[in-house]
This record gives sequence, structure tokens and C-alpha cells, in this order.
Amino acid sequence: MDTARYAELFLTESQDNLSAINHALLELERTPGAREPIGALFRAVHTVKGMSATMGYAVVAELSHELETLLDLVRRGERDVSGTLMDTLFSAADTLERAIELSVAGREEEMDAAETIAALRAAASPTSESATTSGVLSKQKKKKRATRRSVAVPAPATIRVTQEPNTPMAGVRAYLVLERAKTLGTVLQVEPAPETFTADAFDGRLTIGIDTGASDEEIDRVIRSAGQVAEVVVTRAGVAGAGQRPAVPNGDGLLPVGSAGRASELVAARQHRHIRIDLHRLDTLMNLIGELVITRGRLQQLATTMNEPALTEAVTQTSRLVADLQDGIMTSRMVPVWQVFDRFPRVVRDAARALGKQVELIVEGQEIELDRSLLDEIGDPVVHLLRNAIDHGLETPEERVRAGKSPTGRLTLIAARDRSAVVIRVTDDGKGIDRDRVLARAQQMGLVESSRTELTDDELFRLIGRPGFSTATQVTDISGRGVGIDAVHTRVRALGGTVDMKSAKGEGTSVTVRLPVTLAIVRSLLARIGDETYAIPMTHVNETVQVESDTIRHVKGREVLVLRDDVLPVVHLRDLVRLPRRDGGGGQVVVLEVADRRAGMVVDELTGQQEIVIKPFDTVKDGLSVFSGATILGDGVPALILDVSSLF
Amino acid sequence: MSHTVLICDDAIFMRTMVGDILQQAGFEIVGEAETGVQAVEKYQQLRPDLVTMDIVMPDMGGIDAVREITKFDPQAKVLMCSAMGQQALVVEAIQAGAKDFVVKPFQPSRVLEAVQRVLG
Repeated sequence: MDTARYAELFLTESQDNLSAINHALLELERTPGAREPIGALFRAVHTVKGMSATMGYAVVAELSHELETLLDLVRRGERDVSGTLMDTLFSAADTLERAIELSVAGREEEMDAAETIAALRAAASPTSESATTSGVLSKQKKKKRATRRSVAVPAPATIRVTQEPNTPMAGVRAYLVLERAKTLGTVLQVEPAPETFTADAFDGRLTIGIDTGASDEEIDRVIRSAGQVAEVVVTRAGVAGAGQRPAVPNGDGLLPVGSAGRASELVAARQHRHIRIDLHRLDTLMNLIGELVITRGRLQQLATTMNEPALTEAVTQTSRLVADLQDGIMTSRMVPVWQVFDRFPRVVRDAARALGKQVELIVEGQEIELDRSLLDEIGDPVVHLLRNAIDHGLETPEERVRAGKSPTGRLTLIAARDRSAVVIRVTDDGKGIDRDRVLARAQQMGLVESSRTELTDDELFRLIGRPGFSTATQVTDISGRGVGIDAVHTRVRALGGTVDMKSAKGEGTSVTVRLPVTLAIVRSLLARIGDETYAIPMTHVNETVQVESDTIRHVKGREVLVLRDDVLPVVHLRDLVRLPRRDGGGGQVVVLEVADRRAGMVVDELTGQQEIVIKPFDTVKDGLSVFSGATILGDGVPALILDVSSLF
Repeated sequence: MSHTVLICDDAIFMRTMVGDILQQAGFEIVGEAETGVQAVEKYQQLRPDLVTMDIVMPDMGGIDAVREITKFDPQAKVLMCSAMGQQALVVEAIQAGAKDFVVKPFQPSRVLEAVQRVLG
């Protein structure tokens, strides 16, 4: 088998299943007695097991097998859904995720799942603490169940039927088998789906999941009465039935039957009709559109120069079509935010548990769509914000009660569209930021004049966003290393977005991230330094002015530009790219603006405007952090894109 | 006492053939019907142990006839006689209440197996 071809599919489908596993675990933790989450868990784990075995990913297969074994015990009520058990299951889900990722990456040998497997086995072993009762009682219980079964209390069973070879109208015969099965009890699942029995692909085998009070012998007899049945295998969930021939080593119960086991219903319910497209293909299309947009610009320029009405008309029409095309491709790259938000309940749960807080997470606007590449980038910053809110924002249950609040903190994550931007807001109803402490720390670090007695929201945020600035009294695993907010800042800025914060003492904190809906194409100003061209996104360009060297003055040792009544700080692009300044010092100044703050940037020369396609790159360690990406210009020359927000 | 059978088919050839197979196996052919309407009428009149039913017949097809017969007698044992390629119709007949089916061309052994299963 050409596994490489299937690896991607395996990964995507496994991610769906992992998401379902995490959802079900959270659900199970909330309602320990509920059957549905266990069923959903079982199905998802079983699917992963089947897929991984097919792919030859032994570690994933073994992990999911052990997990399945334990889940089977839980499903049969032989293990209590205790806190310890939940921890084991959660951690197993994490290990499973890592194992899947490493396996797909071809680095399976790096995966060490021994500890998790041991934990799963320990939890599943008869001497486990979480076994419901002592061995004796457990045995009695089993016995009782067995007795009850013989007096026809419906119990789940799986019936695998194989028809005789060359059965005429095998599909219709299979249908009769199903009709017979229905006389035995309640049919829960059938595979393949009855509608497909009469299709050419039907191979004379079907599997029926049923709740029945009938004995194995009775089932065998009734199923065979449908005619031309070669073999009937009955498997009881957990208890071995007559003629059992396990297809998989263990725990092959009722629930995995059927296509419902393929992906979780949780996910399926929200999925529309989709085809999967390799993201690279969309990226390629996007790049091509980008080039087209650039060429369009040149074409328009040429048409204007030539002043030929017929040509102008054709160019205008082409422009419109290109714009529509650009729009279409952009839309096709949009995905709903839940694809990333889906993992947050789990993140919140883990953080809350680790910090001894009670948190209720409310998520709104999951259907809001964002460009795929943006969405991938935004996940980590939002995780930072959520963790920060739980660690620093929300109080412990005792503190909350003392403050007259409900012991459970409320954490709200909202996504919303605002014109051409997407707004993501994380709000907590915690204690708010201690302004006095931040002020004191800032003054201690010499960041704020000692005469100040108050900080604005903006100042507050810029302070706590500084690398290394933390007022957390102790560093925890969750946050407090002073990198959280800083990391969010950096990432969001690189995406062309902004972050701001509001905090009220005793009432809570709210952090708002604004992002462009797409970051793929931006209109940019092109500036030259020597032979190199740099792109400055127009979103941050206020105006451009021609200056002589003497227009730039020095105030308190810093260069400033007096523009009309404003005094703007000045930066030189040549300094940023570490090139010597030109003699004379004059040139073009681009006035940049980010969130009410302005600055002038001196460049050698401005060469024009262009729509550019941003190709992000990974930040090089110790490299220049003033660039957010690169692009290829219309004439094929590469250019770096300036990260304007990083200058402020 | 041998089981009684009503044979429903619009082709004499088929009625004869099915009749011969069953008679040789000891069944008593108590009636024949050429249309669905006749099949329903004769069932009510004769109350046979078994009905063989063609799918395509004039004047009410076999499936509707099964539906009517089952409505009259939920215990009615109807065996569908189908040609190749009529899967969907056979499924429909089963949903309508038919207990089993045989596929033409008939092999006596297959027909008898099916009959045994239906009579259970």
C-alpha cells in the first residue's frame, strides 16, 4: 500500500477523532454516569485503532488498543469514572495525539508511550483502585448480569454474518437477514448500510449491532433462517459468546460497528458537504492570483500610457474578473474558527485543574470564518490568553466566595466579524489587573516616572506585554514567566493585527485581538535602500513627505521630525537593515501610524505601490525581527515586508 | 397433511413449473392466480399455507398483492419469485411482508429450500 498517500488522510481523520475524544472526555467528566460520551469515546478510539493498524503505526495502534480495553471496562460499569481515571484518560488522549503526529511525520521511533500504556494497563487491571468494588463483589455482579441475560434482558451483541458464496441476489438476502434480526430485538447498527446491500460492492458480509435477549443459539438459528447463510458469529460486548472469533484482539464490542465509528458525531453534526483540498494547492492558487494582481497593475499602467480605448476596456474588464477571482479564492480559504476553538475546552479544563480554579468556558461565534493560514497562527496566542486569564485573572473558588462572587469563574471567548476584521475577545470575571502593583513594578524597573500615580489601560497593557515583565509572585507551568502576553503581542502583530486590553479591578479583564480577515494580499508601499526593495503595508502608512537632512532635529539625543504641529520620532530603514546611512541624510520619509501612535521612517527612495502577496517565513533566531514576511514583486524580484508594529 | 400452496404468476409456463416442483415435493396446489387482484381474492378464499408470488403481473403487481394479503393475514407466508435484476423490487416486497424469495431461472432445490424456510 502506498501509505504516503493515505498518511494525510489518516492525520486529518485522526484529528477529527481526537477532537471527538477530547469532547467526550470533557462530557464524561461533567456527567460521569452518562453512556453517550463513553460510546463516542469508544467509537473514536476504535476508529483510530483500525486506521493506525492499517497504516502500520504500531505505537498508535497499541495505545488505542489499551485505551479501548479500559474504556470497555468503564462502559460495562466495572470501573468508576473517578478523577484518577479521568486523568489517566486525558493523559492517554494527549499521548495518542503525539503518537499520531510523530507517526505521520515518520518519526514513530521517537515516541515513548510506555508510561501511558502502563498507566492504562494499571487502570484496567483487576487490582486497580478504580475497580468499582472488591473482586468478590465484582464477580457477583458479573454473575448476576449473566443470569439476567438468560432470562431475556436485552443486552448488546454484535452479529457478523457471512453468506454462502454465489448467493443469488445476495444483497436482498442480506436484507432478509436484517429482517430476521429485527425479530430478535432492537437493531442498533448495521454495516454496510442496508441501502447499499444491493450495490455491486456488497461482498456477502454484514454486521449487525443489536440489543437482544436471545441466546447465541437462538440468534444463530433465526439468522440462518434467512437462507444461504454460511456463518454466524455472535460477540457479546465484553463477555465472550459462542463461536466468538475475535477479529481484533480484545474489546471488540458493539459500539464500533458501522460507519458511525468513522468520525465522531460531534464533529459530523457540524460538517457540511466538503471536499478536502490540500492547503498547498490553495496556497499555490493564492500565489498565482497574487501574481495576476500584480500583472494587472502593470497592464493597467500600460493601457493608460497607450490610451487605446479598446485596450482600456479590455483591461478594465480583466481587472474586474481578477478581483472576482481573488475574492473567490479568498473565500475558499476561509474556515470556521471552531476548527481551532474546538481544543480550547480541554486547554481550559487542564489549566483550571492544575491551578485549582473552577472555570466555566463560554464560547461564542464559532461559525465566524477566518483565512486558514491566519487561523493556524491564532491558536497559540488565544491559548496564551485563556491560560493567562485562568492563572492571573480568575481567583480561587475561596477567594471568589470571599469577594461575593460565584465560586466558578466565567471565561468567555468570543469571535465576531467587524467590517474587514475579525475580533477575538477573551474576557474573565476575575480580579482584574492590580494596577498599583504593575505601577510599582514598572517604577521599580524604571519604566515609568516615579511621580505617576495611575496607568491608562493602554499603558498597563504595554507594560505587562513587555518581555520579562511579570508581577506573578511565582512562576507556574501555566504562565507567569512574563512571556504570555508578550508572545501574543508579537504573534498578532506579525499577522497584521492589534491587541488591546481593558481591566477593571474586581470585575475582570478583557483582551481583544483584531485581525485582518485574510493576510494573503496587501497593498504596499515599495521603498528602496541601495539595491534592495522593501514593502511597507499601506494599512500603516499615513503619508509620505520629502525632507531635507536639516528637517530632522535632535531632541534629547533622539531624532525627531517636526511635521506641521506634530513631533514624530524618526527611524532610518538603513539602521534597521544595518546598512550605513547615506551622506546628506535627506530622503523620503514615510509617516507610519499604529494605533494612534505615529513615527517617521527615512528611506532612500519610494518606488511605488503594489498589491503584494505575503509569504510568511519562520523567524530566524537572532535574526531581524522587523520583517513579517517576504514577497515576490511583479518583476520577479523578492522583497522583505516590514513589520511596522514592531517599530513602535 | 400436506401443505397447501397458491401459485401466482401471469405466465402459464412459470405456474406449471413451480407447480411441478412443489407437487413433486408433496405440496398440494390449491389454486393459481394470473393477476394481483386474483391473488388477493384467492388467498382470502383458500387460506393456503404458502403463496408463491411473481413480481410483475397485470392488474395489481405482486408487491401490492403481498401488501394486501399481509394486511388481511399478517401471518401469511409469501415467497417472491423474481427475475435477475429486480433487487430493489424484491426488497420492497420484503418490506411489504414477503418472507423469502427465489430467483429465476428456478433450481428445484433452491425453491424447496426457500419454501422450507418460509414454512419454518
